[in-house]
Amino acid sequence: MKIEVNAMGDACPIPVVKTKNAIRELNGPGVVRTAVDNEIAVQNLTKMANQKGYGVKSEKEAGGRFYVTMTIGEGAPEPPEAETCLVAPQDGAKQRKVVVAVSSAQMGSGSEELGRTLLKGFIYALGQQDQLPETILFYNGGASITCEDSPALEDLRSLEAQGVEILTCGTCLNFYGLTDKLQVGGVTNMYTIVEKMTGAGLLVKP
Amino acid sequence: MRQKQLRVILTFPAAVDAMAMESYGAAHQVPGRLIPLPSAVSAGCGLCWSAPPEAREAVEAAAQEAGLRTGGIYELML
Repeated sequence: MKIEVNAMGDACPIPVVKTKNAIRELNGPGVVRTAVDNEIAVQNLTKMANQKGYGVKSEKEAGGRFYVTMTIGEGAPEPPEAETCLVAPQDGAKQRKVVVAVSSAQMGSGSEELGRTLLKGFIYALGQQDQLPETILFYNGGASITCEDSPALEDLRSLEAQGVEILTCGTCLNFYGLTDKLQVGGVTNMYTIVEKMTGAGLLVKP
Repeated sequence: MRQKQLRVILTFPAAVDAMAMESYGAAHQVPGRLIPLPSAVSAGCGLCWSAPPEAREAVEAAAQEAGLRTGGIYELML
């Protein structure tokens, strides 16, 4: 059995409520596909599915329409009673714009070896967050992180594939002789770096 | 949105062991990578080795061959 849910234009928690009702209506194994028009709703529905062990996949269509498809298996638990916004929208439907600034090839001061390991872990963990940053800026010693032989390239490519903008300072690439070695993202200048930083809702500097 | 995958997680009592595992893993093509310890696991130094579940035995063997002190081994959706 398959149920289609239309939650276009609905703010949290309505898409979750409608989807939970459809899952109860299934009363057993089946598929529920919910149409929504915002990323927050996709995240809320995906979290609910993950918590309950339902199969879930999401797809984006042109025109800002998203489909979240949940597959409910035999013996799967009922959806949760509580109707909560698992990811709270901020400023209405808009999320806070997060910009990450990486200014060194290390995280923190102290051991260089540990600092490099920590920065690599930081970039990995960025990709595990429910809300990804909008932009990651790399400058000065951080410019090497987007270039050949960087241990973080795989994670940065994954972030870029998920829509995160990755920008490296062109002056810095030139200074360190890395201009031809950039492997991920684009090149930027100080005006854009300042614009991104001053326009951020939250600026994160590891 | 990112799809979670089942991973086997090997923890270490000290960061130096985890970092040594990274060096050993790179030199010996051990499947997996060093990542920050997931929040679901409370024990360990804060770094752990994450690998596909089918590599569990290879990872355990590699840590033993390298003479590293290890903690627990877990399977998690990450």
